Amino acid sequence: MKKRMDKPAKDPFWFRECFLMPMPIGTKVVNLRELLHALREVSDSVLYYHLVQSRLAVSPPTVEFPNDFALWAAVALQDSALAEKLSSFDPLDYENLSQVRQAMVDILEEYLWDLPFVPWARSGFEFHFCEASTVVIRSVISAHNLQEFCQALNKVGLDSMYYHFFEARWRLEKPIDDFSYWIETNFGLPELVAAIRDIDIYFYNLREIRNTLLGLIHQYLGDICGQPE
Amino acid sequence: MVSLNDYEPIVGPEVIGQLQRLAEVVARRRFVHINSTRTGGGVAEILNRAVPLLNQLDIKTQWEVIQGDPFFFEITKAMHNALQGHKVHFTEAMFNHYREVNLENARLATWEADFVLLHDPQPAYMIEELRPRAKHWVWRCHIDVSRPNLQVWRFLREAVSQFDASVFSMSQFAQNLPHPQYLIRPSIDPLSEKNRELTPQEIKAVLNRLGIERDKPIVLQVSRFDSFKDPVGVIQAFRMVRRHAPCKLILAGGEATDDPEGPRIFAEVQEAARGEPDIQILLLPADAHHEVNALQRAADVIVQKSTREGFGLTVTEAMWKGKPVIGGAVGGIVLQLQDYNTGFRVYSPEGCAFRIRYLLHRPGLAKRMGQLARESVRNHFLITRNIRDYLTLMILLDKQGSRLIEL
Repeated sequence: MKKRMDKPAKDPFWFRECFLMPMPIGTKVVNLRELLHALREVSDSVLYYHLVQSRLAVSPPTVEFPNDFALWAAVALQDSALAEKLSSFDPLDYENLSQVRQAMVDILEEYLWDLPFVPWARSGFEFHFCEASTVVIRSVISAHNLQEFCQALNKVGLDSMYYHFFEARWRLEKPIDDFSYWIETNFGLPELVAAIRDIDIYFYNLREIRNTLLGLIHQYLGDICGQPE
Repeated sequence: MVSLNDYEPIVGPEVIGQLQRLAEVVARRRFVHINSTRTGGGVAEILNRAVPLLNQLDIKTQWEVIQGDPFFFEITKAMHNALQGHKVHFTEAMFNHYREVNLENARLATWEADFVLLHDPQPAYMIEELRPRAKHWVWRCHIDVSRPNLQVWRFLREAVSQFDASVFSMSQFAQNLPHPQYLIRPSIDPLSEKNRELTPQEIKAVLNRLGIERDKPIVLQVSRFDSFKDPVGVIQAFRMVRRHAPCKLILAGGEATDDPEGPRIFAEVQEAARGEPDIQILLLPADAHHEVNALQRAADVIVQKSTREGFGLTVTEAMWKGKPVIGGAVGGIVLQLQDYNTGFRVYSPEGCAFRIRYLLHRPGLAKRMGQLARESVRNHFLITRNIRDYLTLMILLDKQGSRLIEL
């Protein structure tokens, strides 16, 4: 085991730091019909911000409401049934943002179809659309073998977890993450790779994702970097 | 002079490293800030520290302050209120005078720049005269313009539309404008007199000077005595708490001298507190930063029961001191306080009273909440993050149309 931990990687893993510069687009909606209409019109980057990039926001989504639309349905529209539908919606089930948009539109359209009224938000609780510019900076932290990799996971910020798990899926255009890709191409380890790709990342917050990843490494490779937090 | 390295023990070397990496991209560019005052108010507080720090990062930064007569500042005060939704009627003479003062200031300007960040509405029309003087013009709006008075906004929009970008503090303040809009949250300086660490002796000395005994838990609200800060609601909440838990209330702040309702509100506060020895009302001068710092550090629970708020930097300051904060669920307070996590949001004096009791009865939870609040400020609301956003903004403007910066 020890030998495998020290085996140098062909390519070291360079961690990336990542932050957003949010860009409000100056558009807001006050009821569910307006939201449906806007979802058909807004750019992909707006959809991406509210469904995925909000993980890096000042107040990231909670377990109950993993995206901004679900939270708005619960808090502003006070419609628990709709909030449940939007919470269990997972954009990572789709291949691209066009499919994600269509799925969201379908949910809202079907929901509105059966309602005798249009749910409205109170004044001050409108939904304000945003998109974002992304800044990615190569960290000074890198890993040349599995042991260094595991130790580094405890040092890098949660923004790195976001970048290597979430941004990776759209960048690599495959439902995989940078970490499992690096392990697979440098060390094989198919069971660990499969387990990492099975992490329910849309459900967990970034801290939980990190702890789950550390837990899997511990499970498959033993105690090479100490217990997870 | 405070140096960038002084922030490293507070924010960590990674953050300082990020600033240096970003600054390398726009090194030696000329960056001009323009506002209307060098002292007083949150903008001046931040610029006082941000300008030297940007220069340390090799960004050639200068800070220009526009001059005006008393009538000009009356107009801009009215403009400020109108943009925050007050009913104010503007005459053509007021608009004309505002424009003239802007043009006079523009004619006196000698700077040249790559980037100009113009703060708030006061100097906005300078762009009409000075557009060729800088490559990129950005309007930085620090105030709540979520429901602006239409007459004033129409007038201002004519100038704002000529800028290359606008920056707001909250997404709900963004407007329909023909250029990119960015979000930059306000920030506090952890090394300023209002926020630096104090020794127990320093805190004690301030309490002695102000005649405050620490014989009971202290509930504190620091804010101007104006109706939007709801000091009377805080007293109502305190009276409800007192039936269940011993504590004292301190209301500290300045009188709202520019608010015609100020004296009336202050009289109402005194009336509401009459006959209650455990309520202390402190009228502090605007520069009592050291005293405010000590009061916040001495408090057990800090309240900011606003009914209307732009961002609420007093909440940020209290959170930075590791205190549990209860805030009115308005404006930027909603962003800062997450229930059961970094604080409590409330909607009524009853809600405020309930949360004060909750925290006084659970000191362990209150302490944990304060720790989470401090970490939230460390991650999101310190001046280093503000500098990072300024640098990012410059890079994005330079790479027009780009949404991704990779360094």
